Amino acid sequence: MKNFILGFLILLFAVPLSFADGDRINIVTTQTIFADLVKQIGKDKVNVSAIASPKYNIHFIQPKPSDIRSVSKADLYVNAGLDLEAWSDPLLEAAGKSKLFRNAEGNVDLSQGIKLLKIPDHPLSRAEGDIHLFGNPHFQMSPENARVMVRTILEKLKEVDSVNASYYEENAKGFLSRLDQKIAEWRNLCADCKGKEIINYHDNIVYFADFLGLKAEQFLEPKPGIPPTPKHMRFLEAYAKAHNITVVATPTYYSQDAAQSLAEKIGGKVVTIAQGVGETPGTDDFFSFFDYNFKQISEGLSLSATDTSLNK
Amino acid sequence: MRAFAILIILFYQLCIFNQPSWADSSVEEEMKVMKEQFAVMQTKMNSLEDKVARQQKQINGYEASKQAYETRITDLEGQLAKQSTTSAAPVTGGNHLIPSKWTPEIGVVADTLFTLNSAKTDTDGEDRLNVRELELVMGSAVDPFSRLDATIAFSTSEDEPVALEEAYLTRFGLPFGSTARIGKFKPKVGKALGVHRDSLDTIDEPLVIQRYFGEEGMNKTGVDISKILDLPTPVTQQITVGVLDGGNAEDVGVFGETKRRPTLYSHLKNYIDINDATGFELGGSYMAGSRDEDSRFEVQVLGMDATLTHNFNANQNMKIQAEAFNVDRKESVIDEDDGLGGTIRHDLDGNIWGAYGLVDFRVHPLWSIGGRYDIVQPIAAELPVDGVRKDDQAYSGYLTFYQSEFARWRMQFTHTDSATGKDDNAVYIQGTFAIGEHKHKIQ
Repeated sequence: MKNFILGFLILLFAVPLSFADGDRINIVTTQTIFADLVKQIGKDKVNVSAIASPKYNIHFIQPKPSDIRSVSKADLYVNAGLDLEAWSDPLLEAAGKSKLFRNAEGNVDLSQGIKLLKIPDHPLSRAEGDIHLFGNPHFQMSPENARVMVRTILEKLKEVDSVNASYYEENAKGFLSRLDQKIAEWRNLCADCKGKEIINYHDNIVYFADFLGLKAEQFLEPKPGIPPTPKHMRFLEAYAKAHNITVVATPTYYSQDAAQSLAEKIGGKVVTIAQGVGETPGTDDFFSFFDYNFKQISEGLSLSATDTSLNK
Repeated sequence: MRAFAILIILFYQLCIFNQPSWADSSVEEEMKVMKEQFAVMQTKMNSLEDKVARQQKQINGYEASKQAYETRITDLEGQLAKQSTTSAAPVTGGNHLIPSKWTPEIGVVADTLFTLNSAKTDTDGEDRLNVRELELVMGSAVDPFSRLDATIAFSTSEDEPVALEEAYLTRFGLPFGSTARIGKFKPKVGKALGVHRDSLDTIDEPLVIQRYFGEEGMNKTGVDISKILDLPTPVTQQITVGVLDGGNAEDVGVFGETKRRPTLYSHLKNYIDINDATGFELGGSYMAGSRDEDSRFEVQVLGMDATLTHNFNANQNMKIQAEAFNVDRKESVIDEDDGLGGTIRHDLDGNIWGAYGLVDFRVHPLWSIGGRYDIVQPIAAELPVDGVRKDDQAYSGYLTFYQSEFARWRMQFTHTDSATGKDDNAVYIQGTFAIGEHKHKIQ
């Protein structure tokens, strides 16, 4: 028994408490696009890692023990807030670092200040599927929202590392300046998308569609979280033909079969709209991620696809 | 007469062309006054011109300022327009969460089970369609440092229709980054022992868990403390040690019913990401407790668990899991009359073990298949007559249909070879349904 207690005490107290990388701020984000935004502002003053691989559905991530370890060492936890990442609270509790809990000082909720779309206007029921209580949480899909997210990240970095405040401000200014230029470029590229309608797999591009003036109100899922059914597919086929829809959009992590099947029936094409940085080749950072997505939708709708500047 | 008229005309002409000198001075005077007035007016005019010039200058200045202000207003309007499309809406992220967090998270998990077995006699009424359990799950932050979780189970069992399965406080942020739990909870020993039924891959607990720790595992009152070890290796390690109330609370299991001594336990988890898609976990557990009424910790349990997970893609994954427990005990048993009115106490030295292996394939977002093999030596206090201990073995296969994130159907077939020589085949159909808020703890 003495050996048992002694062994535990040695393990508990004798191990190094931290192996921090210099004076960098350790930041863990839930999504890769958030990690890239943090990196764009913090640059070499921060260590950033993301929990969710962009190759998996953000709703159903299963955090691993290594993720718990990463969070336990983090100074800041950057997340989408709302109720998108349902695994986030259990992850934080498993890591046991209360200063990163929801609403605590180390928890950076990027939904703060974002104008939410599709806010429920009636009492909700799960009979409507896996709907979100506070509005659509996929706000990272509009580049306009990056202005707000960058501001939130900037303020938090300045708060925890005031010595380098001007450094972060300069980086944010540079990012926003480039963002202005790119937004104009993207709007120009997709100018003709306005008013067009597409079918998407899940209701996760509402902010993307709003940015472009695109209509995306029909989904392969009959209800959020419910996979396509034959009956619903028949409805979509009729709907697409009646409304002259030729594009079916989906991220990579859903089964492509249903999208492909519908596209064939309506004589259209499947377009991949990535949800996270790194989901597909050529989406290595925030700007290339949107370059890819806008080019995809533009080409998918057979519009101004000849603008090769996006690949620069 | 004519001459008189001529004279008058001449006189008149004379008057006209020969004016008096007083008339000349008056005109000059007037001219002078007029000149003076003109000079005054000229001065005033110059003054006014200066004034107008100054005012024009001011106006020009105002114009420049106006332009600057207009530029600024345009700039601000632009910013406002941008904000109006992003943040200045009546409802923005974050704000919504404030009122919702005042109420605890409450969920209900229903576990319905249809059982059909091959036993010729069924005195326990095992062939039945039954709501095996309905769990009321609650939890919420108590304060910035702790959280309370409770699970109350309702069942159709006449013995225990309502049971407090769990009720514990988790205290975060203790020294050295450790976390403690106090109350009634499932100990973090191995894999299957620490999870609720609705998180199992199979309908029932592995045999080794049922035989050694109770049909539904252990829910014991106690305290434990966990810490993630931050060693400079790629291996993530977490150590947990705890003290539990003694016994198994049932007259089954390696710790029996006696509560003379508490049960001590510890677990060391080691996890490594082999690559982005594959992870491997190896765990070791140690438990020490008592089964009888003396003060010794004569029951010692060593456990090992290994889990390999692999994601083929976003919708297909695999889990291979194995767990083994070895029980070493020196249990005092009274097995003989000494002929003098007393008894002879013998120590039963015993070493028994049990294990299971499980493979689970998520072949489709809606479907998974799997199988489990169980082997476990019984805890019977007495050795078999022939001195050779036999074991229970079971073979299970199952198919799971995920109707949605909150509803799941599972069918399982189990064949059991019992140490007593009896065989059994059983078919189970289980429906698990959740409403409200129910988030699984991360192991």
